[in-house]
Amino acid sequence: MKEFQPIPARPAPEQTVGPIAWMRENLFSNIPNSVVTLALIAFLVYYIPPIVDWAFLSANWSGTTEDACVKEGACWVFINAWSYQFFYGTYPIEEVWRINLMIVLLLIVIGMSFKLPKHYRMKASIAAWLALPIIGMAVLYGGWGGLEVVSTDLWGGFTLNVFMAAASIIVAFPFSFLWALGRRSQMPFIRSVSVIFIEFFRGVPVLSLFFMGSVMLPLFFAEGTNVDKLIRVWLVLIFFMSGYMAEVFRGGFAAVPSGQYEAADSVGLSYWQKILLIILPQVIKISMPNILATFVMLFKNTTFLLIIGIPEVVQTLQTALSNSYWLGGHALEGYLFVFLVFWASCFGMSVLSRRIERSMNTDKRD
Amino acid sequence: MFKQKTLEEVKASARRSSGSSSAAFYNNPNVRAIFYQILLVFGLGYFFYSIISNVLANMEATGIKTGFSFLSASAGYDVLMTLISFESTDTYGKIFIVGFLNTLLVSAIGIFFATILGFIFGVAHFSHNWLIRKVALVYVEIFRNIPLLLQVFFWYFAVLSALPGARQSLSLGEAIFLNVRGLYLPKMVGGDLFWVAEVALALSIAGIFVLRRWAKKRQELTGQQFPVLNVSIAMVIGLPILALLLTGLPFEMEYPALKGFNYFGGITVIPELMALAIALSVYTGAFIAEAVRAGVQAIPHGQTEAARSIGLKEKKIMQLIIVPQAMRVIVPLLNSEYQSLVKNSTLAAAIGYPDLFNVFVGTALNQTGQAIETIFMTIVVYFVVNMVISFLMNRFNNAVALVSR
Repeated sequence: MKEFQPIPARPAPEQTVGPIAWMRENLFSNIPNSVVTLALIAFLVYYIPPIVDWAFLSANWSGTTEDACVKEGACWVFINAWSYQFFYGTYPIEEVWRINLMIVLLLIVIGMSFKLPKHYRMKASIAAWLALPIIGMAVLYGGWGGLEVVSTDLWGGFTLNVFMAAASIIVAFPFSFLWALGRRSQMPFIRSVSVIFIEFFRGVPVLSLFFMGSVMLPLFFAEGTNVDKLIRVWLVLIFFMSGYMAEVFRGGFAAVPSGQYEAADSVGLSYWQKILLIILPQVIKISMPNILATFVMLFKNTTFLLIIGIPEVVQTLQTALSNSYWLGGHALEGYLFVFLVFWASCFGMSVLSRRIERSMNTDKRD
Repeated sequence: MFKQKTLEEVKASARRSSGSSSAAFYNNPNVRAIFYQILLVFGLGYFFYSIISNVLANMEATGIKTGFSFLSASAGYDVLMTLISFESTDTYGKIFIVGFLNTLLVSAIGIFFATILGFIFGVAHFSHNWLIRKVALVYVEIFRNIPLLLQVFFWYFAVLSALPGARQSLSLGEAIFLNVRGLYLPKMVGGDLFWVAEVALALSIAGIFVLRRWAKKRQELTGQQFPVLNVSIAMVIGLPILALLLTGLPFEMEYPALKGFNYFGGITVIPELMALAIALSVYTGAFIAEAVRAGVQAIPHGQTEAARSIGLKEKKIMQLIIVPQAMRVIVPLLNSEYQSLVKNSTLAAAIGYPDLFNVFVGTALNQTGQAIETIFMTIVVYFVVNMVISFLMNRFNNAVALVSR
């Protein structure tokens, strides 16, 4: 009996595989394409080497003063010398462990919301998130248990941006949830109040809200009360964020299939049981990419605080640039550094949100 | 162990829960709704009462005036750039208008260029050329993820202030000059018969609408297509030029010229406006590119294949099949991007471009101390501008929306 002997597969034609074919298809498919490709390559060849040379090869890396910058290229010494201020502002150096502690706590809470056992993950992590800004405020400000008071005037730098963004979105979370519920409510008055609130805070430039916080809000408090400027701005940011997040949640509520609401009603759950136990977990899951996108927007907007004179990272950079020991024009280095820090954080979050979106797509059951 | 209920017991409990007479009135959802809303009315009422009384008390204590009478008072400060004539003796009311016009100007420039950039890079995402695709990706991912304020500062402090001084200006054909003080463009000064060209331009724009309607009707009746786009462009450019030639070129070009330490004449674009407009266009352009990408991706590939199979050319597929369908997704996204561009133009305050926010909430508030009035007026303007944008985009959206039969 003859055994079946398959003929080995022939290699694909050379025209269709390999780097040459790839280039032919993707770079030189026709004449206009080839022209564009060559022009772009020429552009890159012309501009990339000087940039690399400036930023790396002939850059100044070591030293502590401006005099160390002797070579032609970038003066990264400037960044090095000011890095503490860029990250921590004018926070006293012997107390800086408090900021680091809060960063570690933030990371722990983030880890908790992914890694805890499923049956109490939601409860534990929500409680931890909500407690975080309050603990943060207490630890960073001090004034209890032997901790020295660090006035909010001294807070600053990149960690202030992170703190303002994180603290306001966390506190805004429950409020925005209520506003979204209000907007879906059957009660006409509650609904219209919610709509007005949400649309007001979404329709107003964030900068005018910051001005409200710094100039108008003091008029609202009873005579004699003096609320810290940072707290006032925090308050305004919370309002701003709850407007935006309410819309995110509204989308989430609408995306939960109506059968879920009906099923919860039919097993006799009360309104709050239905919302908190059945709907909210699904809403948070559905809205996660949008929540992250809103957070990225807020995080970028915290730089606007500079205009009302709060020493966040860009303000710190401006101060550093006008320092009399560093007048050599380091604007480019400074901006590139802050660019890089923000870009890395925001891009990282958008990648994360895309990954969450993808992982959610797999377990979708309709 | 569950106790087995008798039929009577079940019936009785059903009667208890459904009969409205036996249920307690506080368990009635309608009563509860009214109760909650009354509670909210009182809560809000108390909230606003305490705020207003605090504000009044605080204002009295600090001696701040109230009301809008400050609008007719002389402002006493000059504005860097005005589109209408303005002197420092003019009123706050006029400053408000000056600032409003400047806001409109920078928003219009920003929207125009952001749309162009966004569509170019959004479509580039689908290019057959690998390099172009990567360039589009890099553009979107870089500029979307860097705070706008940093970009404004970057253009203003790192790029535009690194330009050469007036005597070493970069120039293009001795007509356009660029230096650290701004961009200088030639200006067209019309003569006696210049209005003929203006009328020709208006006529050609009106003609395009007529032409489009006629071409559409003809296509529906006979199936023949008319090159509307090419003819329209020819009309808009050709007719005014023809009119100018016929009337004997009734205009002069006013070129900027170096006098002393700076250029005078022509149109001057101050660096603040340039930096803000560039930053707004580049930043919003990245978001619009994402919107365009999303719009095109939302169209099933089968549409392209079907169009190819009935023999449409690639250009026609784009024009007739892909773009009209993609616009349904793109237009609502454009609407919100335009609105956020207008709101973001308040960043003018960071570099000193005299937009409404800067001259009014910045300077006027500082001088008069009337925080509530100035902030309120400014907010209302941004609301109204955004509502107009929203209205126009919704009209446009209705025009491109799917007509369901």
